[in-house]
Amino acid sequence: MTESLHNSRIRTWFASSPPVIWGIRQLRELLLGALRQGPIPQHVAFVMDGNRRFARGHRLETVEGHNLGFEALARILEVCYKTGVKVVTIYAFSIENFKRSKAEVDALMDMAKVKLDQLSEHGALLDRYGASIRILGQRDLVKPDVLEAIDKAVALTAGNKKAILNVCFPYTSRDEITTAVKKTVLQYSKPIGSRPPPSRRPFSETHITRNLRARMLTVVPEEMSEKSESRSTSPSSSKELYHAEGEHSSATSTLTNQSEKGENQSQSPGLIYPDPETITDETLTSNMLTVGAPPLDLLVRTSGVQRLSDFMLWQCHQNTSIVFLDCLWPEFDMWHFLPVLVEWQWQRKKLQEQERSRGRHKLD
Amino acid sequence: MASTGITPRESTAFHRNSLDGKQLTPNEREQLLKPFLPPEPSSSSTEPSRPSTPAPASKPRRHTSHQLKRNTGLVRHAIHVLIYTVIHAIFSVFFRFRRAWRLVCSKVVALMFYHHRTPEFIRKDVKNLEKLPDHLSVILEFHENDEDQGNAGLEGLVNDVCELAAWSASVGIPLLSIYEKNGILKNCRPQLHASISLTLDSYFGPQRKPSLSLHAPHLPSYSPPSTPPRSSTPNSEGGKTAPHHLTILLLSAADGRETMCDLTKTLSDMAQKDSLNPYDITADLISAELIEAVSGEPDLLILFSPTVVLKGYPPWQLRLTEIFHLPDNKGVNYQVFIRALHKYAKVEMRLGK
Repeated sequence: MTESLHNSRIRTWFASSPPVIWGIRQLRELLLGALRQGPIPQHVAFVMDGNRRFARGHRLETVEGHNLGFEALARILEVCYKTGVKVVTIYAFSIENFKRSKAEVDALMDMAKVKLDQLSEHGALLDRYGASIRILGQRDLVKPDVLEAIDKAVALTAGNKKAILNVCFPYTSRDEITTAVKKTVLQYSKPIGSRPPPSRRPFSETHITRNLRARMLTVVPEEMSEKSESRSTSPSSSKELYHAEGEHSSATSTLTNQSEKGENQSQSPGLIYPDPETITDETLTSNMLTVGAPPLDLLVRTSGVQRLSDFMLWQCHQNTSIVFLDCLWPEFDMWHFLPVLVEWQWQRKKLQEQERSRGRHKLD
Repeated sequence: MASTGITPRESTAFHRNSLDGKQLTPNEREQLLKPFLPPEPSSSSTEPSRPSTPAPASKPRRHTSHQLKRNTGLVRHAIHVLIYTVIHAIFSVFFRFRRAWRLVCSKVVALMFYHHRTPEFIRKDVKNLEKLPDHLSVILEFHENDEDQGNAGLEGLVNDVCELAAWSASVGIPLLSIYEKNGILKNCRPQLHASISLTLDSYFGPQRKPSLSLHAPHLPSYSPPSTPPRSSTPNSEGGKTAPHHLTILLLSAADGRETMCDLTKTLSDMAQKDSLNPYDITADLISAELIEAVSGEPDLLILFSPTVVLKGYPPWQLRLTEIFHLPDNKGVNYQVFIRALHKYAKVEMRLGK
């Protein structure tokens, strides 16, 4: 298989001779250390596209393509974490991918399980990277045995704080947003307490209005005399009228109140709900699966497809730099990624300069 | 694989989980990985606590070793900074040259493709395309005062919209949505409609001018009676040159996250009043509501900016949209538009399969 990947044997022999390998390793470290000196994206996302096309192009089995893709992932993760990226999010499996052939889906699931199991065997090594794994997506769609491997790996690395690897596994962004909306609605439809019963205080409103009435009658008898005369034909009817009028005035005064309290009281009078007007995009963001991660700085998609394909829509539609590369994912390594990183740094620096100059203009 | 600094023997071991034909145990695998691992997590965070651990007898030596370590650290840092500066200097030159080169290329292409403000020329440019987007979307920017481009201010923006509308109408795209972050365009719809009509006039002539309607989410649609009635469309199906109807949709950042929040608020309200079970919220429901309130998924999104940054474009709608941009391009121009359509026609949609 190596022969098919590298046509010239001599080149392979040269490239695999110990001094060359040592040299390349040193060069890598040096470059990575050097790039650390500039701004580094805090959150990078990858769409690992092109495994199958790579396999087809090299006449390999599809599964083998995915395997090579996994290796590319390992390489790129090393680069990311060594340069100081805090969060890496990868699109491993889309909910739409269940449409693929059963054999391939099963193989992918198996691969995930095997790799996660292997990962769990090396807890101590993982601590060195300080990376914790999180699986984002629809858990119900995953088979129980894979789920078990996932939970084990997640639990094992949960304590690591230095970096995060988000694996989007049965994931689509629309599903994520829908879930976030659902969660928010559930939060806001949970009563946060019940209103105290209104007759708790030792004073009754009707009593006070009656008192007021009485006092007014005594203070300005001339003005009120007509009304009171016309009304107080009999004590009982006057009482009714008082009541009716009291209700009327309260109705007008509570018109504003009612809208504040919300209409829910008509149905469940004792309950208070949080005000839906306090929902902001941060509320939704905090219900997304990437909660707590810094804003997405860079999204890389390989294989020349210029689409987001339902990935990180909510996270990447603002200030994220999106980069589309033509290489297929299994070919993707540091030498593809570093130019992207350098360009990102360059753009970031230019943006900062622009902002600074704009700020200066404003000061002037 | 040579570029990673891994020997072939190791690489097959990683690959097949076996070394020299034997299955690897977890222990062997760890041995194999040793040289590639980063140093123990000891660097800055644990350094202060370290002096307490070694025996007091080795105090002076420890001191020097510590010093030495710091010195090498400093040297390494200096080397790193140096290399970083060199890399960025080189790349900065490279990026500038590349930008200049791409500019030249695009100018050459622009010479080849020019519309001459004639719909027939534009139609000829897209004649061989197998499919056209039904819903085209573009992201435009409002430039306050940009020296190197002639499209500053609202006037420039309106001018861009007019040109885009004319091109889309010539190609035969029925729906064009225009995203501008701050929603400036939404505030001047009558003027915008008048300007677009004028431009269409100059492209098509007053007789064959396509009818035009201008929409914006949450605002009444603007299609004044002066536009010819829709009745001309049915009998125009046969003829290629017959006028059709162009709908322009104006979007802004408020139609993205804010609309999503508004939807959530409404749903919460309904849930509080018990008229909605939160578990009934599905992607289809949200999708339907957003299509109603904002727009559907565009088929093709054209960016005229030098890099791909979406600047708050409504996220839900972007799911499978083909995104086209020309690196280092600045400003609206015809060749980007045409190349985007060409790229789109060649795209294969797999829908996750």
